[in-house]
Amino acid sequence: MRLSTVLVVSSVCVLGLAGCGSKGSSQTEGDSNTLTLGAAVSLTGKLAREGALTKEGYELCRTKINEAGGVSVGGKKLMLAVQYQDDTSKPDTAAQLVEQFNDKGVKLILSSYGSANIEAQAAVVERNGQVMADSAGADDKIFEKGYRRTFAVLSPATEYAASIVKAIAELAKPKPRTVVFLSADDGFSKTVTEGGMAEAKEQGFTVLPPQYFPNGTSDVSSALTKVKGQQPDVIIGSVHLVEGIAIVKQAHELGVTPAGGFGETVAPPTPDFAKTRGGQAENVLGSSQWTETVTGQDKYFGTAKEYGDDIQAKFGHRPEYHNAEATAACLALALAVEKAGTTEPDKVRDALAGLDTESFFGRIKFDESGKNVSKPMSVIQIQNGKVVTVWPTEAAESKLVWPGIKQ
Amino acid sequence: MGASSADVGTAAGVETPTARPPAEARWRRLLPWAAGVLVLLACFGLQTQLYTGQERTVTTIFMFVALAQAWNIIGGFTGYASFGQVVFFGIGGYATATLMYHLQVNFWLALVVSGLAAAAFGALIGLPLLRLKGHYFAIATLGVAEGMREVVTNLPDITGGGAGITIPTVGAKASTPYLGNDGFYILFLVLAALAVLVGGLVSRSKFGFALRAINQDEDAAGSMGINTTRAKVTAFALSGFLVGLVGASYAFQQVTIFPERLFDVDITVLMVVMVVIGGSGTVLGPLLGAVALQYLSEYLRQHYTQMHTFILGAIIIVAVILLPQGVVNYAREAARTRQFSLLRNVRRYRL
Amino acid sequence: MTSFVQATLYGLLQGGLLALIAVGFSLVWGVMNVINLAHGAFVILGAYIAWELNSTLGLDPFLGMFVAAAVLFPVGYALQRGLINLVINAPVFITLLLTFGLDLLIVQGMNIAFTANYRSIPTSYAGKSLALGDVRIPLGRLLAFVVAVAVTLLLVAMVTRTRTGLSIMATGMDRGAARLMGIRARHVYALTFGLAVALAGMAGAMVGTVGTFNPAAAGGYTLLSFVIAVLGGLGNMYGALVGGLVIGLVEAWAGQYLSGTWVNALAFLVLVLVLLLRPSGLVGRAFYAARVEV
Repeated sequence: MRLSTVLVVSSVCVLGLAGCGSKGSSQTEGDSNTLTLGAAVSLTGKLAREGALTKEGYELCRTKINEAGGVSVGGKKLMLAVQYQDDTSKPDTAAQLVEQFNDKGVKLILSSYGSANIEAQAAVVERNGQVMADSAGADDKIFEKGYRRTFAVLSPATEYAASIVKAIAELAKPKPRTVVFLSADDGFSKTVTEGGMAEAKEQGFTVLPPQYFPNGTSDVSSALTKVKGQQPDVIIGSVHLVEGIAIVKQAHELGVTPAGGFGETVAPPTPDFAKTRGGQAENVLGSSQWTETVTGQDKYFGTAKEYGDDIQAKFGHRPEYHNAEATAACLALALAVEKAGTTEPDKVRDALAGLDTESFFGRIKFDESGKNVSKPMSVIQIQNGKVVTVWPTEAAESKLVWPGIKQ
Repeated sequence: MGASSADVGTAAGVETPTARPPAEARWRRLLPWAAGVLVLLACFGLQTQLYTGQERTVTTIFMFVALAQAWNIIGGFTGYASFGQVVFFGIGGYATATLMYHLQVNFWLALVVSGLAAAAFGALIGLPLLRLKGHYFAIATLGVAEGMREVVTNLPDITGGGAGITIPTVGAKASTPYLGNDGFYILFLVLAALAVLVGGLVSRSKFGFALRAINQDEDAAGSMGINTTRAKVTAFALSGFLVGLVGASYAFQQVTIFPERLFDVDITVLMVVMVVIGGSGTVLGPLLGAVALQYLSEYLRQHYTQMHTFILGAIIIVAVILLPQGVVNYAREAARTRQFSLLRNVRRYRL
Repeated sequence: MTSFVQATLYGLLQGGLLALIAVGFSLVWGVMNVINLAHGAFVILGAYIAWELNSTLGLDPFLGMFVAAAVLFPVGYALQRGLINLVINAPVFITLLLTFGLDLLIVQGMNIAFTANYRSIPTSYAGKSLALGDVRIPLGRLLAFVVAVAVTLLLVAMVTRTRTGLSIMATGMDRGAARLMGIRARHVYALTFGLAVALAGMAGAMVGTVGTFNPAAAGGYTLLSFVIAVLGGLGNMYGALVGGLVIGLVEAWAGQYLSGTWVNALAFLVLVLVLLLRPSGLVGRAFYAARVEV
């Protein structure tokens, strides 16, 4: 009974508050000397590792641009500021945070990590009239929905495995005949596999049926046992870090030795891969959005190598491509603002759509759906425990070692 | 003989000389309903004050109020704590998504069908599962929820599998216009109100008493003539119906859904935490628990971006140690016995 | 045929390790009626301890696991004595919430202390495998299996033959009667939890050798422990072993003969079937379900 009284009193208060005052228009940006970008990143949860790298990339972008004096907008110089929120690796939280940024009047958004989160964010961005620079959502599905306000600086998912196939077709002697794809079953990996298989068929390889396993598993033994009997020349994994490590490790344990070698997406360029697998990682191919040998430079970050040194100086490790793609997204947004001469979202959106520039990340130019199709992915190989670029040949540091597995 | 007829006489006549007059008793009974209506109106009014981001937060609060109330029916009243309640959430969500995607069904129709589908599923698996007791029931429901997630992931032609499924909201295939933040606020508010209403009705009805009897001593309840199987399965299906409705609305709100999110065990755990901290077996408890916990976790996440999970964990531990019966039950008992010490709780429940 | 044998062997080896992961969880639940949602977090904690020892001191993880167990035992003891004992008599899902909060704390603590990078404990020999004809037996997994079975058997012996073990079992059967017999229930409970956490840590060290881990993996191990503990029968060491082996085999065969993605669904199907047909588990005893608590 007392509780009901409490409830009545509190609801009357709430009603009273609702009656007084009005909502008003959404708050204006506070400081007219700063350009505020909103970034919902995954600081906790299963994407915490990549989310941390993404945040590092955004942070370096912010400090470098501010050291250079800031972003020049219509004659004024604005300092760059980034507001961070944690989306706990969940897509609905990521979307909700974009809404909250919109409330505070932050219209220019830097994306979270992972195609699932970004797909959710892109929907909200489209509805609210914001603009998003996508740093880590490569799944082509995001761009097949008719969204016009999300722009991805990274190469799309269909390129991840296809680039490895192209590299093998171009450089591997003797040319292998059969290829099999081992894939995780999430949307991104499946798109990667489809793209890779299409490319392989085009290049004249015999493509064996792909094997799928649950996303995030560290036991791929059944998939490997199934393909062992088929004796493929090349095994390509459309995977993330955990499954990538598992493939190499368990292939070794189970005695699965393809005549040509292994190629994997995402995993091989990371330092954890070579470190944890040691000798087994030798000569494994990988695809990366970016390496330090990429050609191209821009006024804020210089060349890829200089960018690498900056990351080393600020965070104490050589950059992974997650750092670079994040900085590139922030850079694209900043350049678009400069080009538009204003921070108004519609004009920034148009400036982004028309952007065509070289950068430390490679060429940034978007097609009508918002994908960056003018930048090739790099193919790397682990040689003597180090990650070296082997394709495209203009950026190659070293020749491809083939076959990858010594019989 | 004489004593028994006197007893019968006193027992049959509710109106003893010291009883309150009927009008006031009725008013007293209606007070919680009136309070509820007032709160509902307040929430409608609140909408005009909120920005879209805050609106979304409050919408999520309403969602969890509905979920917590639904869980309370099977877990709080009946005492059969289900660990797999999220399976109804996922079934409701995926039923709506697949209907709207493949057959362009109108959302409102899909909503009702999803709720019924979830209820049917609840009745179907409730029959064998509710024979289990205590922990075994909990784990069995958990197994069903996890298993359902895997099944959904493995039917990509129907459900999109791990890649998710997108409800068409623009273009020719969209059957219902997207409700927008304001629309979803109202939808979830209505669902929350519905859940609280159902909870209140169940609480005061014969059905509710039957459930409570089952909770306290199932065998005795059975020998009193209560069809325990029918009551339990009905409670389970009812709870599933409500959760299914919420899941369907959630799917529409998110537009693109994935199995890991729609069948996430965290959602069940959150439901349980909210009910228990609020006070299980009451109508007010889950309401307060849901509001408090959701608001708290939102606040912590915004202001302590690095440490929020850590702090939330610590707060939960402290709350559970000091108030294991939940806030509402503690408040009622404290008001009744005039003993407010929290440490008394600890002394009572520790080993 | 070879692939069947290979899958079976792999499944058994995996099953042994799973058993060790789950045995502590089963013990705690069976004896104390406490569902430890933080169990997976302790497994990962053990993995991190072994990893730290390996990277700073070069200690082999199969030795490091004993250190991990030794470090985690007092932690578990203190947690039970100081924290969980406070709510033992409360309705059973209170302990659930307590351990849920604990899980949040520990996982986030590890995230902050160790970062979310994936780690693995490299050894020179774990990658090699023995060959039996066409079938390969990975050495690391074989060692983990042997250790797991040995520890489980040791545990059974300890529990049935030593006074401490018997007091644990007695307290699990009827706390009131045990106390009347002079058994200090608070201490015994703390001992049990400490033991369970130590076992989890040991299992974690081996998990670290055999696969990769990071803080987010904790939840998966808790879930797995649920399934195995109930499958085998709560509070029963042999049950945990049997449950682990069954799940290991089911997953291996499912992976081999169905599409790889059905593996998890099948494991849960098995769980639900066992619960419906034989709720006390494959090897368990019915009395745990109808226990009297004082």
